Amino acid sequence: MRSKWFVVVSLLVLASFILGACAKAPAAPSQTLRVNLGSYPDTIDPQKSSFVNEIAHLKLMYEGLTRLDAKLETVPGAAEKWEYNSDATELTFTLRANLKYSDGSLLNAKRFEYSILRNIDPNTAGEYASITDDIAGAAEWRGADLAKATPEELAALKAAVKVQALDSKGNPCTGYDQKDCNTLKIGLKQPAPYFHTVMSLWVTYPAKQELIEQGGESWYVDPKFQLGNGPMVLSTLEPTVQGLFTPNNYYWRGTAKVNIEFRYITDSAVSFNAYKNGEFDIVPLAAEDLATVTQDATLNPEKMVYPGSCTYAFMFHQLKEPFTDQKVREAFAYGLDRAGWVTDVLKGLGSPTLTWIPKGFPGYDAQENRWGYDPAKAQEALAASSYGSADKLPEITATFSDTPRNRTRNEWLAAKYKEVLGIDIKLNPVEATTYTALTKDINTAPQMYILGWCADYPDPQNWLSVYWKTGGFGQRIGYSNPDLDAKLNEADSTVDPTKRMTLYAEAQKMLTDTAPVAFFWNNVNSYMVKPYVKGIQTTPMDSGWPGDIDPLSITIEK
Amino acid sequence: MAEQATLEQKAPVADLNEVVTPHRDLMMDAWYRLTKNKGAVAGMIVIAAFILVAIFADKLSPHNPLQLNSGKDFLPPAFVEKGPNGKAGDSSFLFGTDTLGRDVFSRTIYGARVSMVVGIIPTAIIILIGTLVGLYSGYKGGWIDNLLMRFTDVVYAFPDLLFFIIVMISLRDTPIGTMLNGLFLLFLALAIVNWVGVARIVRGQVLSLREKEFVEAARSIGAKDSRIMFKHILPNSLSPIIITAATTVPGMIITEAILGYLGLGLIPSTNPQDFFLTSWGALLLDGQTAINGQPWALLFPAICVSLVVLAFTFVGDGLRDALDPRLQGTQ
Amino acid sequence: MTGYLAKRLLWLIPVILIVAGITFILMHNAPGGPWDRDLSSRQVDPTAQRLLNEFYGLNKPLWRQFTAYMVGDTNTRTGKWVCGLVCGNMGPSYRIRGMSVQQYLFNPPPNRSFLYSKFGYSIRLALLALAFAILIGLPMGVISALKQNTWIDYINLFIATVGISVPNFVIAIFLIIIFASTLHWVSIVPLSWDEFNVWILPSIVLGFGVLARTARLSRATMLEVMRQDYIRTARAKGLVERIVVVRHMIKNAMIPVVTYLGPALAGLITGSFIIETMFGFPGMGRAYVTAISQRDYSMIMGTTLIYAILVAVANLSVDFVYVLLDPRIKLTE
Repeated sequence: MRSKWFVVVSLLVLASFILGACAKAPAAPSQTLRVNLGSYPDTIDPQKSSFVNEIAHLKLMYEGLTRLDAKLETVPGAAEKWEYNSDATELTFTLRANLKYSDGSLLNAKRFEYSILRNIDPNTAGEYASITDDIAGAAEWRGADLAKATPEELAALKAAVKVQALDSKGNPCTGYDQKDCNTLKIGLKQPAPYFHTVMSLWVTYPAKQELIEQGGESWYVDPKFQLGNGPMVLSTLEPTVQGLFTPNNYYWRGTAKVNIEFRYITDSAVSFNAYKNGEFDIVPLAAEDLATVTQDATLNPEKMVYPGSCTYAFMFHQLKEPFTDQKVREAFAYGLDRAGWVTDVLKGLGSPTLTWIPKGFPGYDAQENRWGYDPAKAQEALAASSYGSADKLPEITATFSDTPRNRTRNEWLAAKYKEVLGIDIKLNPVEATTYTALTKDINTAPQMYILGWCADYPDPQNWLSVYWKTGGFGQRIGYSNPDLDAKLNEADSTVDPTKRMTLYAEAQKMLTDTAPVAFFWNNVNSYMVKPYVKGIQTTPMDSGWPGDIDPLSITIEK
Repeated sequence: MAEQATLEQKAPVADLNEVVTPHRDLMMDAWYRLTKNKGAVAGMIVIAAFILVAIFADKLSPHNPLQLNSGKDFLPPAFVEKGPNGKAGDSSFLFGTDTLGRDVFSRTIYGARVSMVVGIIPTAIIILIGTLVGLYSGYKGGWIDNLLMRFTDVVYAFPDLLFFIIVMISLRDTPIGTMLNGLFLLFLALAIVNWVGVARIVRGQVLSLREKEFVEAARSIGAKDSRIMFKHILPNSLSPIIITAATTVPGMIITEAILGYLGLGLIPSTNPQDFFLTSWGALLLDGQTAINGQPWALLFPAICVSLVVLAFTFVGDGLRDALDPRLQGTQ
Repeated sequence: MTGYLAKRLLWLIPVILIVAGITFILMHNAPGGPWDRDLSSRQVDPTAQRLLNEFYGLNKPLWRQFTAYMVGDTNTRTGKWVCGLVCGNMGPSYRIRGMSVQQYLFNPPPNRSFLYSKFGYSIRLALLALAFAILIGLPMGVISALKQNTWIDYINLFIATVGISVPNFVIAIFLIIIFASTLHWVSIVPLSWDEFNVWILPSIVLGFGVLARTARLSRATMLEVMRQDYIRTARAKGLVERIVVVRHMIKNAMIPVVTYLGPALAGLITGSFIIETMFGFPGMGRAYVTAISQRDYSMIMGTTLIYAILVAVANLSVDFVYVLLDPRIKLTE
């Protein structure tokens, strides 16, 4: 009988051994940069992705017509130049000559036409497709009722979208192998002098139509279909284990000097330990580990902390008591100890702010200093409100997504407001997805909650018009200001850059006037980078790891 | 067991014959054996200590567990000269402080409340429901019994953790979900999953007991079903029930810790007057993220959870030995 | 035997139906939907949300979504009939666009065998963890029983109790710090799951709880068996002690252990959540837990039903192992 057991058990062991013993591992060139990206991406399809970690993959493999440089300026990408017509309602790109995909095949303007149209196509149901709604006809086609519309109607809607690839003679292109097809003309539904920057985004990346069709709905999981024009080529992709990228020899700016390997460890404590153990070159640095790093003579110089692209604000629901009263909002804004928050809660990983557009982005207002932390003024404002004092306020509840980090954060806030204003704030943690669903609707949006906005592209239009115009995100907390709308409409359609920036600056001041929300802090990107990794260029808009703006400049010297 | 019970019914006769032996009933006997078991006694002392800590948490904790100490975050325990983050221990914070400078010692003390309650209350509910259903379905049989068995199949086929998570998420923002800082819902979920096991054990016990002579005898003198069930069968099924109870408690505490780790436990409170402020599960989670800077924040709640679970396990083992002498020292 | 098997398998159908129904009701009762991301991410705009809902049929009444999942429905977009669970189609994942749940869980990466699918990885880790639990736990329990109340017994008991009482994420982090960060025996984050040694820590973490229970259970049943009359008889007829222990004691003590190990294996296959977040293990445990917070409805249904089937299969195989171990048991109800 023992032999039977012995057999069963040894079979189990043997099975596991044999199953694991198959060989693999593609030969890596010379040096590989090992980056822990955190969570594994769900969907790596340019026209369907929207998460930071998904974009991190796409940015390596593809390049748009334009791209952002390390100063966040929009510079030529696949297109060598672009121009607007006089009222900025038409944008014409001219592609570089001899553009190639990573396999050496031709990349012409028709490819971009396909990608942009695929992004708009309601059948794609792209998750971030709205970003190109400024294209004439895009919103109509995307918003079509597919159940009712006839194929003819849909075809007409598609034809009405003003995106067209043209050859050197100005005729529409015929195919993907047409060499002189190097012009892309985009008609805009209203003046949009920022639109060339939108064309740098991942939703326009030119994945090949034939490969998408060949690979089917889940084409993107197989590296052989992920053929791009970016600096790197996807060589292996093993879900949740590893994504390995090798340099693209056909990339027009040159060849990268290192391979890039993404790993996906979500536990920050484990990731940090692995970094110390020499298993990663770049890992995110969590606030909990910052003190350990700072006091360690070797680790401290390896930390890389620089501004991020998000502004967080305490959102007050403008239609819910007591935040209907501007004085109450002012009191809460004055009562918010932003500096204390950054030191105590964020452990220095953040910077306090009193304005919406963060430092480092065009449109940043360094002069803004209204509604800063001032307990005396906070109490005055509360006394001057229609409620008069803290005990006459209705019950105030701070709602947040239930994570341990948010718990400690909101516990800190409640304690602080108690101290400054004598207000008892009730905490209402809700499950993360429930929370998102709540904040999306003006009726269910909580009375008071923290929310951030991160730049899609570095232009004040993305910060102010997209967020605060009536019908935008700000309306979810009941914010709607016709004066601000008028100002923003004017700024959006102004072609002259200086005048445009002045208008946005005025708009931002106008927004702060009524203290609709309490601007709170800007995030910072914080990573650990091994000292032998050189040439990392950082920008506030890095997706998931530092240096992704230009992988070409990265070298490893050990 | 059944034989002992029959003996007990003849006890007066036995008394007459053996005058020298003082009268000891079954439970007294068991209690005597239990107190002889060192592990079980130690376990009971630990449990009693933790219950006292839980009740008098507000008197025992040196600090307000919600008090933020700016600049004193992530301090190592008082006896540590220099932690991994370079900070020195502070004598007023015995176990050090957490990410916001709150006293870990006080928070651990308060955490005992949730863990003790989570361990004991759902177990009581489970035992109550499980025993009643098991008793009835085992004695009566028929469709109730059938239903119970089929229901068991369904409950067993449901992944426990997934069920807890989905129940917590889907009902969290309803009035049931916010009762007792979310603990009520947790009790409910734990009870739904676990009562079936108890019911099955009791049913099995009843099935073997109902054919015994003393039940036959009771029935023949015209005792009502309810009387037979509660006066004759139940007392004789008590020992497996008590043992199950003692072994269920640790499971509950661990489950709470894991759900806390997944962020689905207790809803935090900001009012120091509240009874439930934090749980060991929540502390474990805090500690785990801070393992590199302040490892003690994980260590102390982990030790407490282990200690309590250990104590209950020992008591459970002791009870088994005490109530079923045949199995002396088996588990 | 076949009749019994058929009956058990048939009974599985209503069980699965009920499990599916309860899961369906609960998950749709949770607020929000698959398009509500956690707030640090970009959110889907209303038009895209409408398109996505139409595409996946989430705009249909709930009962219709349920029947569509179980039986099938015509896709409003393409007008084609899409068969449901009855055809083995576990529905599209709402987060991993273009992938069905069965593809996600059972399809390996390109050019790899089935064992490299998420399910395959989980099975391998679960088997290894189970092997570890049996190889260590069983002898521990048996030796403890044979040497009852000696120091060996106490040490074993202590290890077993630690295994039961310390949550496994705590065990995991301490093991990582000891064996990887300090001793450097293994790397923390495995470079590749093709090497055997990287499986050691994860399988210990995963299998520790089962090991502890196996040890306790086998000790208990051994002690009970040791007092049986037939053991006395075996000794009395002059059998060598080794044979008494192996052939009579262990064999009979195994029956309750087997009952426990069957369902435990099902739990091990789906329970690798912690190992996946900590070691980056490519199993199905994370899919299982994160699907709920992502409201990936078909993934929730799929993983729950897979678990239910695994439990059923495990219980069924336990019955067959019974027959192997105890010839007196016949498989009839």
